[in-house]
Amino acid sequence: VNVKVLYFALARDLTSTRSEAINVPEGTSVRELVRSLGALHPALGKLKDSVKCSVNLSIVTPETTLTDGDEVGVLPPVAGG
Amino acid sequence: MRARITKSPIDPEAALRSVRDSSAGGTVMFLGTIRNRNEGRQVRGLEYEVYKEMAEKRMAEIEKQVRARWPVRKMLMVHRYGNLRVGEISVAVVVSSEHRAEAFEACRYAIDTIKRSTPIWKKEKLTGGEESWTKGEPIEG
Repeated sequence: VNVKVLYFALARDLTSTRSEAINVPEGTSVRELVRSLGALHPALGKLKDSVKCSVNLSIVTPETTLTDGDEVGVLPPVAGG
Repeated sequence: MRARITKSPIDPEAALRSVRDSSAGGTVMFLGTIRNRNEGRQVRGLEYEVYKEMAEKRMAEIEKQVRARWPVRKMLMVHRYGNLRVGEISVAVVVSSEHRAEAFEACRYAIDTIKRSTPIWKKEKLTGGEESWTKGEPIEG
């Protein structure tokens, strides 16, 4: 299963990455993906549990299963307005 | 749907014109502007970052929620991104309705929900040259 991961704001600074393609096993959840992203970029640990993820432009729960071609957003706490 | 994310300056007069409606008896406009201080620090400007496609989708959903709750005539939401200086308008919400009460309520709901649930971030640029991401709150789904 190939997914595209997008990093924003502090997550982008911490990883020095705007987007990357990640290959995960079939049935991988968002929680498991976040864990492997943390292993890939240890600096992401700074964000702890404040980070949320979107899949294909919608906020999802960590239990959500990824499917091929998903676009995953790594979203630190927001501050619009 | 009139939800937009833009790099261009927001023109409040054009925003007001866009919600003009002959059946509207009231129009409420909220403008967010960059202020020169935050938590005791002297701010030179803000850099906004946005997940554009998702923010536009969220703003369209917010408009749908507003229209389901209040009999709004016309409505416009615009949020800027990029580098903004003190005094510039970062966000505008304009609502017209038959009577003022629903225009006030709908406008308040829309700006509060934009702040809580759209993927937008800002980096504070202080007068000393320091920069840091504003703390913020976890995004609501």
